[in-house]
Amino acid sequence: MTIDLDRCTGCEACVAACHAENNIPFSTPEEADKGRAIHWIRVDRYYEGEFPDIKLKFQPVLCQHCEEAPCEPVCPVHATYENPEGLNVQVYNRCVGTFYCANNCPYSVRSFNWFAPKWPEPMQMMHNPDVSIREGGVMEKCSFCIQRVKRAKQDATEDKRPLADGDVQPACVQSCPAEAMVFGDLNDPESRVSKLAASGRSTQLMAELGTKPKVFYLQRND
Amino acid sequence: MIWLIGEFRKHDELADAIRDLRGSGFTAEDIEVFSEEPVELRKGVLDRPSKMSLTAVLSAMAFGSLATWFVYYAQNDYRLRSGGMPYFSFWSTGVITYETTMLGAILAIFGAFLWESRLFRRRHPHAPIPECPPNSMCLRVHCAKIDAEIGASKMREHGAVEVKQCD
Amino acid sequence: MAARAPETLSYGQIREDLFRPLSPFNSKWIFTCLAAFVFVVLGLVAWGFQLHDGMGITGLKRPIFWGFYVIDFVFWIGISHAGTLISAILRLTDAQWRKPITRAAEAITVFALMIGGLFPIIHLGRAWLFYWLIPVPNGRLLWPNFRSPLVWDLTAILTYVTGSVIYLYLPLIPDVAQLAKVNQTWRKKIYRLLSLGWSGSDTEWHALERAMKLMACVILAVAISVHTIVAWDFAMAISPMWHSTIFGPYFVVGAIFSGIAALMVVMSVIRRVMHLERYLTWRHFNNLALLLLLMSLLWLYFTASEHLTVWYGNEPSEMGVFGARVRGPYAPYFWAMVILNFVVPFILLGIRKLRTFTTATIASVCVLIGMWLERYLIVVATLGNPRLSSAHAVYAPTWIELAITAATFAAMVLLYMIFAKMFPIIAVWEFKPHPHEDD
Repeated sequence: MTIDLDRCTGCEACVAACHAENNIPFSTPEEADKGRAIHWIRVDRYYEGEFPDIKLKFQPVLCQHCEEAPCEPVCPVHATYENPEGLNVQVYNRCVGTFYCANNCPYSVRSFNWFAPKWPEPMQMMHNPDVSIREGGVMEKCSFCIQRVKRAKQDATEDKRPLADGDVQPACVQSCPAEAMVFGDLNDPESRVSKLAASGRSTQLMAELGTKPKVFYLQRND
Repeated sequence: MIWLIGEFRKHDELADAIRDLRGSGFTAEDIEVFSEEPVELRKGVLDRPSKMSLTAVLSAMAFGSLATWFVYYAQNDYRLRSGGMPYFSFWSTGVITYETTMLGAILAIFGAFLWESRLFRRRHPHAPIPECPPNSMCLRVHCAKIDAEIGASKMREHGAVEVKQCD
Repeated sequence: MAARAPETLSYGQIREDLFRPLSPFNSKWIFTCLAAFVFVVLGLVAWGFQLHDGMGITGLKRPIFWGFYVIDFVFWIGISHAGTLISAILRLTDAQWRKPITRAAEAITVFALMIGGLFPIIHLGRAWLFYWLIPVPNGRLLWPNFRSPLVWDLTAILTYVTGSVIYLYLPLIPDVAQLAKVNQTWRKKIYRLLSLGWSGSDTEWHALERAMKLMACVILAVAISVHTIVAWDFAMAISPMWHSTIFGPYFVVGAIFSGIAALMVVMSVIRRVMHLERYLTWRHFNNLALLLLLMSLLWLYFTASEHLTVWYGNEPSEMGVFGARVRGPYAPYFWAMVILNFVVPFILLGIRKLRTFTTATIASVCVLIGMWLERYLIVVATLGNPRLSSAHAVYAPTWIELAITAATFAAMVLLYMIFAKMFPIIAVWEFKPHPHEDD
């Protein structure tokens, strides 16, 4: 995935779309204040300059799906591991809740189900049937909308055609009004995402840690 | 076969008595010393050979290698990529090898203690256990009836306070 | 203070003195036990709430996912090093003054381990599934991930528990055999069962002494590795100020430090309560106080190295944690820790005129609090200040964590009181120098 920071307006449409797509429970301001909110993607704000002459910068942060993820080896029950497609996946049923993965994530993108999830009326009727509801006591995080990846693959197989670039769009990508986010196959050098990731504007978040993130941030070099 | 029980107050006397008894044909298995505190005798008087260290080392090696093999097997049985680490590497599981090695040693020491102390495999389960007052040591000798007189006299000769005979 | 050295007392006297505290259940004992029991029950109730409602009723929050439970875990595992150090090191070096204190120390080890070992289970989001860490064939068709430091931890603690229980039990056998002869109450059967039919023959003594020598070597290696692995739970993570090579030895030193302090506190209590003034003499307190002083200096050295390298390196993410500790929200705890762990023991124990029974005990209590704060700072300051500043947070516990923590201290008191009522807290047979030792 690539995220163009020069295009991001900080509207948080991605956050709302993610909540709707992935059955993420809502939280109240009081609960969020206590650190109980669950987000698979969040928009970090950075301020440049002195008040009142400030420049605001936004950076959507989601699971970076690291090639060498620090969260994976510390899990004692293999609840998080790298699947053959290169996604860092979280298996909710295996999780016993040691919290270790979240502690070892330098991007702080993992959320914990502090309680059994609840939705205000009538939202509990509007769950996405493709995504499981997580039990209280397990860790969760962005899955790159793996249900959409699976569905697109199935459709392609039924139509007897290879999966084309752009067939899969995670909820955040689909909902971004500024079209700042692009999703695709990094293994395919011809895909749009590969070309953007290879462009001179591309950086990775904390690449110096050696985690080899698969999310690339595009930014003007100045 | 009968039992001779002699009570000693002095350590040297006890050692001399054991030496003398063994010199006249009693084996180390026939002789036992009872006391409320450990009695240390010079080497060669009444040695109890022990294989505890060897057992501990062998068991430690067995536990360690079995555990390592198991970890190797388990990690390859269901191959999950985890943080770019190899499926099996001593760097990532050496600690488990170390701990199980130590566990092997601990269990072997305890097992060897139970075995060598003969708590559960007494030579003579019904032999009389001398009532030994504090600060004294009791010598129990297992012998044939004919030898009893010789044994008893040898013990007295070396300063046994009291010598009893039991069946 | 007793005029005669305890070693010169007659055997019958020693036995009488040490067996005496076992017999009557007086009202004070029962009352204290009940009080401790109430706290334990409260803790269990709190845990029940946590299991029922979810981890959200604790003060944990994103990104501070480890709080009181992990701190208590490290603290109790640290306390458990009392027994191993005093007993194994002193046994191996054949230090004679160790004799009246070995069993008290080994009992601390066993109980502290039992309590500490519970915390990794208590802190789980789904505690009822803790056995998923154990490698048994299961319906998930999955083995645990042996690369995880938590699985290392599990192996290490299981080994340590096994070892320390055996290490406590072996030298208990001759004493229990004595008790089986003397005691005429309902406990006689228990004693006889535990004594395994010990008769005091030289074969048994030989096996016991050999086993103890070997166990001392092994348990020492295990103890050091256990606390190193506890440290590696943190050091293996790449979080700032956790990912440090010094953590293994730093934690081992801290563990021994708090272990000695715990031992001194326990000793001064049993000395008073069980009237063992003749056995636990100034000599023991003085020696332990000096050991505590030495460990205090070692701890200071490690703490200074750890913080100086971070300050000089001036790496932004590490400096975030450093700042939070030294001048940020955790600064009061940090400086309290320095005072409790270094300044107080150094003054009270370093100046000979000030070193008494009372001050040694005070210094030990200070060290226990200080070492608890050290673990608090290590765990919480790092988690509260992750690399991305948007996730920063400050942690405060709720009554759930406080109740469970209090319950573990009460559990320690309870277990120890029951143990001291059942078994002589000083090893009777070991206590007397062997009459023929010079042989």
